[in-house]
Amino acid sequence: MNEHEIEEGLGGRRIDRQGFVAGAAATVAALGLGRFGSMDAFAASEAEGELFYYNWADYVNPKTYPAFTKATGIKVKKDFYVSNEAMLAKLKGGARGYDLIVPTGYMVQILASEKLLQPIQWSKLPTVKRNLNPKFRRLPFDRNDRFSVAKDWGTTGFMYRTDLVKERPTSWREFVNLTKTKYSGKVTVLDGIPEVIGSMLVMLGYSYNTDDRSQLDKAKKELIALKPHLRAITSTEYKQQMIAGKIVMALGWNGDGLAVAVKKPAAYVIPKEGGEFWVDSYAIPVGAKNPDAAHKWIDFVYGARNNAVETAYTYYGSPLKPALLRGVLAKSIINNPAVFPSARVVAKLQANQISARGTALRNRIWTEFKNA
Amino acid sequence: MEAASDLPEPTGRRRGRGGGPRYPPWLALPALAWYVAFFLAPLCFVAAYSFAELSGFVGIDFAWNLENYRYLWDPVYGEIFVRTLGLAGFGTAATLLVGFPFAYWLARYSRRRTLLLLLVIVPFWTSFLIRAYAWLIILDPSFPIFRALHVDLLYTTQAVYIGVVYNYLPLMVLPLYAALERIDWSLVEAAQDLGDGPLRAFRRVTLPLALPGVVAGSLLVFIPLTGEYLIPAILGGNKTAYTGTLIAQQFSEAHDWPLGSAIAMVVIASMTVVLVACSRIAARGEVGDG
Repeated sequence: MNEHEIEEGLGGRRIDRQGFVAGAAATVAALGLGRFGSMDAFAASEAEGELFYYNWADYVNPKTYPAFTKATGIKVKKDFYVSNEAMLAKLKGGARGYDLIVPTGYMVQILASEKLLQPIQWSKLPTVKRNLNPKFRRLPFDRNDRFSVAKDWGTTGFMYRTDLVKERPTSWREFVNLTKTKYSGKVTVLDGIPEVIGSMLVMLGYSYNTDDRSQLDKAKKELIALKPHLRAITSTEYKQQMIAGKIVMALGWNGDGLAVAVKKPAAYVIPKEGGEFWVDSYAIPVGAKNPDAAHKWIDFVYGARNNAVETAYTYYGSPLKPALLRGVLAKSIINNPAVFPSARVVAKLQANQISARGTALRNRIWTEFKNA
Repeated sequence: MEAASDLPEPTGRRRGRGGGPRYPPWLALPALAWYVAFFLAPLCFVAAYSFAELSGFVGIDFAWNLENYRYLWDPVYGEIFVRTLGLAGFGTAATLLVGFPFAYWLARYSRRRTLLLLLVIVPFWTSFLIRAYAWLIILDPSFPIFRALHVDLLYTTQAVYIGVVYNYLPLMVLPLYAALERIDWSLVEAAQDLGDGPLRAFRRVTLPLALPGVVAGSLLVFIPLTGEYLIPAILGGNKTAYTGTLIAQQFSEAHDWPLGSAIAMVVIASMTVVLVACSRIAARGEVGDG
């Protein structure tokens, strides 16, 4: 690694509980059940010089905040969510004042159709225009680049501790079988309806996005059989529990898998049958107090060096032109197939494009899964 | 006890019929306004939503039919409801069993009441969310006690039950203490002087006098527990459905506000029945008090 390359070394990545406490608080506040919780969204904030960033927990390198403030004079206020759905619920419920959010592709579409987004002003994004990989323009969920700018991309697969799991699972089927036998009680899955049901569908050879009742029913049976063997259903705590060795396998996102692998012997797997490919994008919600600051943030993190700082922390794929990353991002990250899978692998994967009907059917399956 | 009702009402009694002091009714206005604006009005919204339908991903279609309620008439929701009642019943019984002896001792024998009561309340100074995460650390199998016992309660139903008792205990102890503290212990001594054994005196004198506290504490524990969300979500690993988590799922994950509202209405209706039944019991207890 030459000295200009950026890599967060061992121990450089702070994995603390703050992230998920805040995430949980955001969920609770979103539900209006908060015995405490950040209700700042409703408070008047100083529009000048402040960016209110509503994001997934632990999805920004902590070093980026002070760097951004230093470069622009804009302070960053934060709130967190644990799922696209929780964020949608909060915005739909009337929360206003957030300047910047990070929905996944399908959620960009839903938010746009609900008129909860305002257009991106590309004239304010010179760095993005220069550095963005053209592959990440005109994505299927936002054909005219009206409402979104790609933040990063990744996959939903599974991870396991290579020191605690002797087998070398490479498929969803193996993941499920090992969970039901040898590693019962030591496995978690995401608390995400589309991700978990979609993974079972893909394992069975169906589309991630199917609306077919009998296919969904088979996926449900798989999940109900899996349920007694799961330790928890969580999107925010599995990383810590994997590192602690309390769990040895988890259905989750690639960046989290890599974060575990930095601390302990672990591997992230894009299963043979396939899985989800997603792009998370910056978007500006209606009611933003400081959309200018949001544009400034996006343009700031599109600087090659700043972007490398982010990628070296989150371990999610960068949407910058690959040539720009060479030299600033550690080769160990650029060449890691879990961060940047090959085009051949990505071609097998599917993006979430579940219909409203499919979403309703999945909600019912999820209830039965949690009741099992 | 029967004969007592033939005696003239003592003056100045709290529940005195007609004889008590009269207060200007407008004193109730602030509370009334508050309840109308922040309880009745939202409740009406929830009721209205429960007759609507989900359209598209998040749209609401006011169809004014019973579709959501018909949908809930299903073994899955029945099981979740029964599980929730089990949790609430356990929580109530356990906090009563743990809380009563403590409140009794506190009211009758303790010399450091203020300090001990303060200690009961102190946990409320910290957000419950933080305390729940603290329990996550305690329940971890690597925590000394559990490591020694080879017990692993992390994200289990038992962890949920422990969390429930921990969190709701003060809500049981405080009303129990308030009721026990008002007891004139010479009545108990009189019963014993007249031949009752300690257990009999407890059953015939102390318990009836403490009944309003028992009912109040039980309601304060039971009713919120039927909607408990945080404890199963955090300590239970969010893997088991209770009505609270089920409603949360409808609102924050599935965006099915109509279905979520219908579930909430069913819970509210059931709790109203419980509340009415309990207030009858409590009223009987207070009449016996006279």
